Amino acid sequence: MKNLVYIKGTKQGLVLQLDDQCAYADLLAELAAKVSDPALDGSAEVQVNLGFRFCTEAQQKEIVATIQTNTHLRVSKMMSDVITVEESNRRIQERQSETYVGIVRSGQIVKAEGDLVVVGDVNPNGKVVAGGNIYVLGRLKGQAHAGANGNREAVIAASWLEATHLMIHDALEIMTDELTVLSEQPEMECAYLHNNGHIIIDRLQELRYIRPEISTFKGGS
Amino acid sequence: MGEAIVVTSGKGGVGKTTTTANLGTALALQGKKVCLIDTDIGLRNLDVILGLENRIIYDLVDVLEGRCKVHQALVKDKRFEDMLYLLPAAQTTDKNAVNPDQMRELVMGLKEQYDFVIIDCPAGIEQGYKNAVAGADRAIVVTTPEISAVRDADRIIGLLELEENIDPPKLIINRIRPHLMKAGEALDVNEITTHLSIDLLGIIADDESVISSSNRGEPIVMDPTNRAALGYRNIARRLLGESVPLMTMDKQNQGVFSKIKAIFSK
Ligand SMILES: Nc1ncnc2c1ncn2[C@@H]1O[C@H](COP(=O)(O)OP(=O)(O)OP(=O)(O)O)[C@@H](O)[C@H]1O
Ligand SMILES: [Mg+2]
Repeated sequence: MKNLVYIKGTKQGLVLQLDDQCAYADLLAELAAKVSDPALDGSAEVQVNLGFRFCTEAQQKEIVATIQTNTHLRVSKMMSDVITVEESNRRIQERQSETYVGIVRSGQIVKAEGDLVVVGDVNPNGKVVAGGNIYVLGRLKGQAHAGANGNREAVIAASWLEATHLMIHDALEIMTDELTVLSEQPEMECAYLHNNGHIIIDRLQELRYIRPEISTFKGGS
Repeated sequence: MGEAIVVTSGKGGVGKTTTTANLGTALALQGKKVCLIDTDIGLRNLDVILGLENRIIYDLVDVLEGRCKVHQALVKDKRFEDMLYLLPAAQTTDKNAVNPDQMRELVMGLKEQYDFVIIDCPAGIEQGYKNAVAGADRAIVVTTPEISAVRDADRIIGLLELEENIDPPKLIINRIRPHLMKAGEALDVNEITTHLSIDLLGIIADDESVISSSNRGEPIVMDPTNRAALGYRNIARRLLGESVPLMTMDKQNQGVFSKIKAIFSK
């Protein structure tokens, strides 16, 4: 019989490669048998690769639970070569860019699934929210939330960045007077989420080094 | 067919009622037939500023609920021939006694008989605001050189911009005190206009006689020598399509001169 669960060691650690053609029930049964093998006694973090099998969230939880019946094992990551249409659409949307021409005034909220370009000012108490990056061709004097669906790589860039609140993913920076004084000339600036979990403000020309992947042009002359 | 202008602000006490009374009077002085509507139900005071308080018999709610005809409720200002009328707000009922559809119909009817219908809006963005803007073709936003008033003006402008039947709102900055602006303690005219990015209709000086004349029931605009009065007269002329340069409060303010010249073509 063909092996349905194949264990291999990689640079990243132990990977459980699961067969993606057999019946799910058979896979689960073999997985249960494999992980209860008394030979597996050292503590280890494992990654699971589902290959081309699509598993619902409940099934994924079931797989993790089955593996972790062996108390020495802990699943650190699930990998898969397939995504749902829904997920795929979400990713496409996040890559798309929407444009708002006008002033985002006090009390108004402008939202985009992907990147958001505002041609105009964002006034105090006005708010812009995007799943992707936010670019303001004008004065950002209100609130901006980039990467609102969990994208930590998202940035906020503005011709004039004097926001009262900046948010990237779930990190919040309240622009106190101190910070405003620090960047006394808030012209052409961008904000991004540093690895240390804090929002950093830098000159706009640094963006190409901080987030090179934002530029979709390759090469150039 | 006349036009309806709503005077609004968001923040209370910045001078909506004073502006309504004075612009109405100034337009009547220019020979226009004007009807003022006080929509501040429960807190009416346009009648007091115009000195018409004692002549009220019926009010806005009486008209809308069919207890009287419109012409029975209109109070004529005898000082201006047949030019200035007031439809007073009800003092006893609450704001929810009126709805936007009723207001639209009422204003539509009045526009057939008057050159200008000027609607005094209550403070806030609730029912009273919605009623006041319902029938309007144009909107005037009043602010003062204070951050809180400018914030609220911004909020109101955002709401007005959503109204499809209303032209882009225009700004009046009221209660300007040149010495504070010069000292940098009050926002200056350019700063406010740039921040709100709408056209400036005019500026009005802060002047004690505005208060005393309101208390006497004589809108300040009737005193041609007063500087606040001049501001209101200029605004009235701009509403009529003239291009009148912005008055200088002070040499400091000359920068805005050129700014206003460019705007105002109606
Ligand atoms: N240019 C001015 N100079 C001096 N005082 C002024 C000026 N404009 C308005 N005032 C005074 O400010 C006070 C408030 O004005 P007003 O009643 O017109 O404001 P409002 O916006 O209608 O208020 P509300 O929101 O309560 O309806 C009044 O006492 C008025 O006399
Ligand atoms: Mg008032």
